[in-house]
Formats: sequence, C-alpha cells, structure tokens
Amino acid sequence: MRRLTILMIEQSFIIREGIKTLLSQMNQPFTMEEIDWVVADLPKLLRKTKPNLVFINPVSVVPNALLSRTNDHKILFIGMIHGETELNIISKFDICLDVYSDKQTLSKQIEELIEKNIGSSKEKQNSNLSERETNILKLVALGLTNNDIGEKLFISSQTVMTHRKNITRKLGIKTVSGLTVYAILHKIIKAEEL
Amino acid sequence: MLINKDMKMADVIHLDHHLLHVINRFNIQLGFEDKTVETVCKEYQVNTDFFLEIVNTYHDPSYFPLKNLQRFKPTLLVDYLQKTHHYYLGIKIPEIEQFINQLLLNNKIEPVHSKLLADFFQSYKTELTTHITKEEQRVYPYVKRLEGYLTQSIDKELITKEIKDYSIQEYEQEHDDVEAKLYDLKNIIIKYLPSPTDSSLFNKILHDLFELERDLNNHGRFENLILVPIVEKMEKDLLQKIKKS
Repeated sequence: MRRLTILMIEQSFIIREGIKTLLSQMNQPFTMEEIDWVVADLPKLLRKTKPNLVFINPVSVVPNALLSRTNDHKILFIGMIHGETELNIISKFDICLDVYSDKQTLSKQIEELIEKNIGSSKEKQNSNLSERETNILKLVALGLTNNDIGEKLFISSQTVMTHRKNITRKLGIKTVSGLTVYAILHKIIKAEEL
Repeated sequence: MLINKDMKMADVIHLDHHLLHVINRFNIQLGFEDKTVETVCKEYQVNTDFFLEIVNTYHDPSYFPLKNLQRFKPTLLVDYLQKTHHYYLGIKIPEIEQFINQLLLNNKIEPVHSKLLADFFQSYKTELTTHITKEEQRVYPYVKRLEGYLTQSIDKELITKEIKDYSIQEYEQEHDDVEAKLYDLKNIIIKYLPSPTDSSLFNKILHDLFELERDLNNHGRFENLILVPIVEKMEKDLLQKIKKS
C-alpha cells in the first residue's frame, strides 16, 4: 500500500489518536501532520503540508476556510462529524464520518474512500509510463512475444522493442518476470491471469 | 590502498571486512595473531601471489591486472571459481532464503507481496543454479582437460572434435541474464514493494543481495576477462600443436 500524507485538523487528542490507531490496524502506512488549533488559513496549510487526505472537524476551521478549498481536486476532504451538523457544511466534504459510529463502519468507510480515490490514481502518480507503454507492459507480463504484441497493436515488432526499452529504462526492471511482478503490484494485471 | 604480502592478515580484515568470505575460500580460517599475509598463506599452502591478486581485485574494483592474472594456471583459477560457486549456493543463497521465509511468516507484510517476492527469488535461484551447474559440469572440466592435453601426448581427432563441439564463448551471454534478474530483484524491493512499518527484514535481504551482486560481478569478470581468454589461447595452441604434428 502506498504511504499517505495526512493532515489532521482536530482539537481532540483522543480522536486524533483514535484515527491513527484505526489506520495502523488497517495496515495503511501514513505520515500525519496534526493540527490542534482552529485553522484560519486552510489553503496555506495545504500548500505547506501537501496531503493526500485531510481529516477535518468542522468546528476546528473557521467557516469560510472550507469554501476556498474547492479548486484542489487531488486532495480528499473527510469531515469528522460530532453530532448534528448543518447540511451545507456536510456538503463541503468528499465524505463525512460520524465519530460515534463503530470501528467496523469507520474502517470500511475509510478503506473504500482510499481505494476509490487514491488507489485509482496510483498508477498515474507512481510510474510515468504512458498509456501505450502500460498496455505493452501488460501484454509482456502476460507472456506475449514482441511479434505477438506487434500484431495485436498493429505496430512493428521494432516499435515494440523501442517501447520495451523505454519501459525498462523508466522502471529500472529488465527481465520479463521482473516486469510481471511490477504489473501485479500495480494492478496492471491480476496474478490469476497468468 | 592495495594489500601486500607483508601486511598483517588481521589488518587486512580491519581494512576491508568484506574480504572475510573471500579469504575463507582459500580455506584460511580466523585466528591470525600477528602473522603476515605471506606467513598465513604458507601455513595454509596457498599461492601468495594468487591470493594477493584475488583479494586486491575484490578490495579495489579498479584494480584488475589482466597480465598478472593470465599467467596463473587455469586450474588454480578454476578451483577458486568453484569455491565461489560453493559460497553462492551453499551459504549466501540459503541465507537469503531464510530471510525470505521469515518474510512469508511475518503477518505485518501483505501475503500477496511476500509471495511475489519469494517466487521471484526462487526463479532467480533456479537460473543461477542452472548456470552454475553447467559451468561445473561442462566448462570447468573442459578447461582442466585442455590444460592436461597441453602437457601430454595427444589424440588429434578427439581434441579437434572436442574443441569444435564446445566453444568457451557460448556462456558469456548467460551471465547477463542472471545479472539482470538480480538487478530486478533489488529494484522491486527498493522501489516497488510496499514497505512494511518495520523494514529491517527487507534491509537484511537487500544487504545480502548487494553483497552477492558484488561477488558475482567479480566472479563474472574473472570468467570473462581471464578464464575465457586463457581457454581461447589454449584452444588455439592445441590446434596449432595438432597441425604441426
């Protein structure tokens, strides 16, 4: 699993620790920046900490701060709701967690959120393979020869070779079995497909 | 700083402890007291010059005296190379395997990931073993036979056929493949396997892989730059000897 950078804006020590414990038990690696005061300038804080995930207790930020966050789509905002909260505040978040819900519900919600939003963008961020290269990598990992791949994609096997050289250079992996491991780790193929 | 025969063996280890297992290949064991390299070598009936060239190429990768090395008897070299094989298959690989087994039992690591790594390592091991077995069974005996032919009366046809059937060149290619797999193995751990919160096991495996790689590179250099040319020369000499007779 990829290590997440998390910004935690929550005054309650107990709740901050609780979320940390939950993430650790989910085997989710992370580094966390903890803020235990009321935040006035959220954008500045975001620029400084560059998080993937932000946990926010709505009462820990000044109300306008939440409005000005919308332009950054890469960051996920999780509201931690204590009791009744106005709908227009809830709507500012990608998801809201009720801090009183049980452990299972909470970990399931967080897991789904991470998988759906950060899991899918993983390939794009981790490897700088082009879409074509990713396709070719997939076919290589499935055991196709350069000729097979060329026929399938309507390109010459020489072109396939060039792509493969680039893939090897970018990833630092030279052998077919090494590329296969990479492809499985990055969910480009499933182990069962082999 | 190169190692010379008048240095104390104990100081050699202090200078570069990576040499420990290289020294063991000569059957030299610890407990040197204040003896010099030369004295220790004599005690263990080891050719001091050969010993020095080997440890120095290992100690300083930029030191590789082709001319010096090519004057040693091929059998001396082959014996040394065989000892390094034993070190790979008998010591280093099992050691890494043990760490990988621990990894498989470690519940902090995603089983899918440790399994991927274990499988990849197994396929590397198989490739390395095949390569080494081939050298042990075909290449080294061939080298020793050629050396024998040079000093005894010879059966022309037998030798011509043998040299024709087997040319030393063919195994150079295989070295590359084995090296590439090891390179991938390292990168998979360093770059791509999601690291557990405690990476000490991964560190140990990486340490061993780097050490193995260093040794294999040294080994490969000996084979490609010394053994291969020596054998090519023997092949040429023998064929000439046959022509003349």
